[in-house]
Amino acid sequence: MIATIDTLHDMEASLKSAVIDLLYRLADDAIIIGHRGSEWTGFAPILEEDIAFSSMAQDDMGHAQTFYQMLFELGEPDPDTNVFARKLDQWTCAGMVSISSQRDWAMSLVRKYFYDVAASIRLDALAEGALVPLAQLARKLRSEKKYHLMHGTMWIPRLGTGTRESHQLMQSAVDTLYPHALGMFEPTSADLLLEQAGVCPREDELRKRWQAEVENVLCGATLKVDADMSPVFGGRAGKHPKDLMALLDDMQLVYNLDPHAKW
Amino acid sequence: MADTQWPVYEVFHQQARGEPHIHVGSVHATDAEMALVMAKEQYCRRQACVNLWVVPAAAILASEYQDGDMFEHTTDKSYRESWGYKTPKTIQKSDEETPT
Repeated sequence: MIATIDTLHDMEASLKSAVIDLLYRLADDAIIIGHRGSEWTGFAPILEEDIAFSSMAQDDMGHAQTFYQMLFELGEPDPDTNVFARKLDQWTCAGMVSISSQRDWAMSLVRKYFYDVAASIRLDALAEGALVPLAQLARKLRSEKKYHLMHGTMWIPRLGTGTRESHQLMQSAVDTLYPHALGMFEPTSADLLLEQAGVCPREDELRKRWQAEVENVLCGATLKVDADMSPVFGGRAGKHPKDLMALLDDMQLVYNLDPHAKW
Repeated sequence: MADTQWPVYEVFHQQARGEPHIHVGSVHATDAEMALVMAKEQYCRRQACVNLWVVPAAAILASEYQDGDMFEHTTDKSYRESWGYKTPKTIQKSDEETPT
């Protein structure tokens, strides 16, 4: 039986730094997928989807904010500084959320779904975890993820089996994204400590759960996964696709012009 | 011009359990499940909601506006209205105490 950790201030230094590492990964993934989602505002293929996709982007940014807030409580910089002032190699988001979709709708949908399954699996695990404030937060955030998953599992089979063209676009998105999706579970030096403290299972374990769920839905959508694909790692260690630099230039533009601007 | 839009689903939303489902608008969707997913973000992103219905607009049989005169009450039917009756004092008192 693993003892619960009732407050953020009950952790010894090594565990605290592992939790900080975990929170940065959660926050960075969420804000960047949210930013990628917001790129579709006004451009999604149908009006209803435009609103739904934009709304979910706001949800993801909201989740990111709660993780950055928790980091702030752990002594890290405030959320605005973290989002607007960090340099490329200080970010820990997975490559999958960083790469530009180039206005490829199939790719954006598949990417969002891959992310949502991973985020849900993490939140489910954290909700059962030993770190009480994080477990409480995870339970709260899970409710919005429920809708995001519903959205993905609605679209994936419809487009996978829709027309020859939609099937090809979806299959190509899966082929492109899958190795990057596996990269969401890049092992880190925090894994073992987080597992031992009962805060969060190892990335490897989360990846198995993710693959079981995703491959089931893809199979139902007649979409294939090449079993030989190997993961693309690097994001957790600050090595990012060049697309992230363009995103940060865009997202941090105003702050870089005037760090003290009020807006 | 031919209608290139997907079928219309009418959306009804319920603010609290036990309340009636109220028509709030419509969405375009290829099927009911898609309509429900779309309706959630179109109509519940600001207001409270505990339950949603989507109904194919094509399933609704509506009266004709040209028949609107059938809704007119041509003779005095105030006896159908609650204000047409005197309420006993005890009920008035209880009405006043009931929060609305």
